Amino acid sequence: MTAQRRRQIFDAVLIPILAIITGLAVSSAFILMTNTPPLVAYQELFKAGFGCETLDNCSLFTTLERATPLILTGLSAVMAFRSGLFSIGQEGQFLLGALIAAWLGYAIDLPPVLHALVILVLAMVLGAAYAYIPAVLKVRLNVNEIISTIILNSIAALFVTYMVNYPLRANRNSTASTPIIHSSAELPSFFAGSHWGVGFLIAVAAVIFVWFYLWRTVPGYEQRMSGQAPFFARYGGIRSERAAIRGMLISGALAGLAGGIEVLGVNRQIVAGFSSGLGFDGVLVAILGQAHPLGVFLVAILFAGIRLGAELGLQITTNIPRELGGGILALIILFVAARSLFSDIINLFRNSFGAGRGIPKEDKA
Amino acid sequence: MNELQVTQDLITLAVIRSGIRLATPVILGALGFAMCNRAGVLNFAIEGMMLFGAFSAIVAAFLLGNTYLGVVVAILAGGLIGAIFAAVYLKYKVDLVILALALNLFISEMTVFFLRVVFGAFGSWSDPSIHQLPDIEIPIVNQIPIVGELLSGHNIIVYTSWIATIALFIILFHTKFGRHIRAVGENQSAAETVGIDVARVKIFVLVLSGCLAALGGAFLSVGHLTLFTRDMSNGRGWLAVTAALFGFSHPIGVFFTGLFFGFADAFAVRLQTVTTIPPSLVQFLPNVAALVALILVGARGKIREELARRRFRQRAKQEVPGAAATPAE
Repeated sequence: MTAQRRRQIFDAVLIPILAIITGLAVSSAFILMTNTPPLVAYQELFKAGFGCETLDNCSLFTTLERATPLILTGLSAVMAFRSGLFSIGQEGQFLLGALIAAWLGYAIDLPPVLHALVILVLAMVLGAAYAYIPAVLKVRLNVNEIISTIILNSIAALFVTYMVNYPLRANRNSTASTPIIHSSAELPSFFAGSHWGVGFLIAVAAVIFVWFYLWRTVPGYEQRMSGQAPFFARYGGIRSERAAIRGMLISGALAGLAGGIEVLGVNRQIVAGFSSGLGFDGVLVAILGQAHPLGVFLVAILFAGIRLGAELGLQITTNIPRELGGGILALIILFVAARSLFSDIINLFRNSFGAGRGIPKEDKA
Repeated sequence: MNELQVTQDLITLAVIRSGIRLATPVILGALGFAMCNRAGVLNFAIEGMMLFGAFSAIVAAFLLGNTYLGVVVAILAGGLIGAIFAAVYLKYKVDLVILALALNLFISEMTVFFLRVVFGAFGSWSDPSIHQLPDIEIPIVNQIPIVGELLSGHNIIVYTSWIATIALFIILFHTKFGRHIRAVGENQSAAETVGIDVARVKIFVLVLSGCLAALGGAFLSVGHLTLFTRDMSNGRGWLAVTAALFGFSHPIGVFFTGLFFGFADAFAVRLQTVTTIPPSLVQFLPNVAALVALILVGARGKIREELARRRFRQRAKQEVPGAAATPAE
């Protein structure tokens, strides 16, 4: 391992850690407003988010359950970012994947494993198809992918609302919902009473797949190069437009898969108002995870844990509004993005641990 | 029969009026985004700035006991957010899109947090002591039959959005500073070379967009309603971004695209009450229109590029025979 590589890893690990510490420190000011000592609040937050007392009462399992769609939408964002497109269309692709899973979950009859498999494949295809629109608009017409995906997200959300309220509606209850899916389409969970199950294994497999694809295959290399250095890639004979579209298709497939797993593994139906924000969180997870599959995996668990801890620990035990969880996450993202803020501290660390020469300060503004 | 006709006409006029109202926050946000875009800054925090404006307007109106003061505080608060945004962006070189996403999330969550901590409200808050912004009749205009009914009798924020459109048009295209803004957006290093203070221009547009977006938010919380709810801006900031691009970041164009979005919104509401068409299908309208507009804008750019290339090639062929085969860099 070269010194430069070691330094890269050092930075990639240290910056998020410093950002998390700073984010929590700044959030303490908000906690003080509620007359709760910050340390008590954080203790409750982490106990409720990551604690595990017995197998029956283990909030870590719930966190892992909730991290599952975040891992997949996060990976989806990584695939998009690594092809040079800042797509935030995961939400729309997620919703369409969820919709087709909820529909085919009750509308067709197939033997157990096959049923789930067919649905997940179709959810991936649909997600990929929906991601193809912004990709091709960007590549052919240079339409800003952020704008197009925002619009596509709201179109998908409106479409799902319509489908759940009218064609797929199960009954005349005040809240519209689709029928419960057949048991043959359900994804099994590891423990009774928890939804942490096979979906998580699929997510882990996806982490390995994305890492392998991006860093160990030729198309992945082409995609990374087109994303990082488009001119270099084209000079080297890479068809960067194709590589970018390929990346976006995989990105859409992952987000669609996340939607499918969420319905087959957790919700078993779609209830009106199912606008999860899980796709949008995926973008943030990818940013925090430094657009790396392993980072996404860890950050997704952190994300889900802080959200859960804020819901169960802060809101219920200490009566601090659970919205603080999102506030903390926003601050952490901000501090990760403002990495030059930490360059002094990093240099200090590096010098005292002798990990090599210090990095030059990035900003000269 | 005749009466029915009249009622229908009145409702149509009412739809246009409500379209003008609903367009106001979108227009203000879009003007903010357009000004930033002209200076080469992509400000995707319009949504958050608008939400923050809505929040600070109603809280300040409550604390100060005066709705107009609330609006002023909202403008200042939006400007402050813009200034912080600019400072973090210029000083710490934070990626603007990431910064905007973080800011949007932070404001969306923390406004609800503060409402609960300070006022004990769950997700939505109002107080009977807060007055809505009054509607103002314009003296002579309100005598004109139909036009008067459309143009007069709105609150001050609606009028401000019209004045801001014209003012920004003049600033952008008829002042030296406006030329500087456009220069920075078109070619930053060239602008730097001729001595334009790029940082100052960027700070200006970010603060201005914060003020405008926050004013749009104030319209939602104290102009349209007297209420704050969780995520009150409800995607209007993003709609504003779309409207700004649709209007080619030109204040006048932005104004009319914003108006179009407002009308589409009002029309959706009316269709919903008059017909049995599902509301979500009607709400497709502005979104699909925006997508089509984006595609058209993209196609236009592509065609222009192609035409320019052709013209260049032709000229090269005329001046230096054979040069067309190897276009100069």
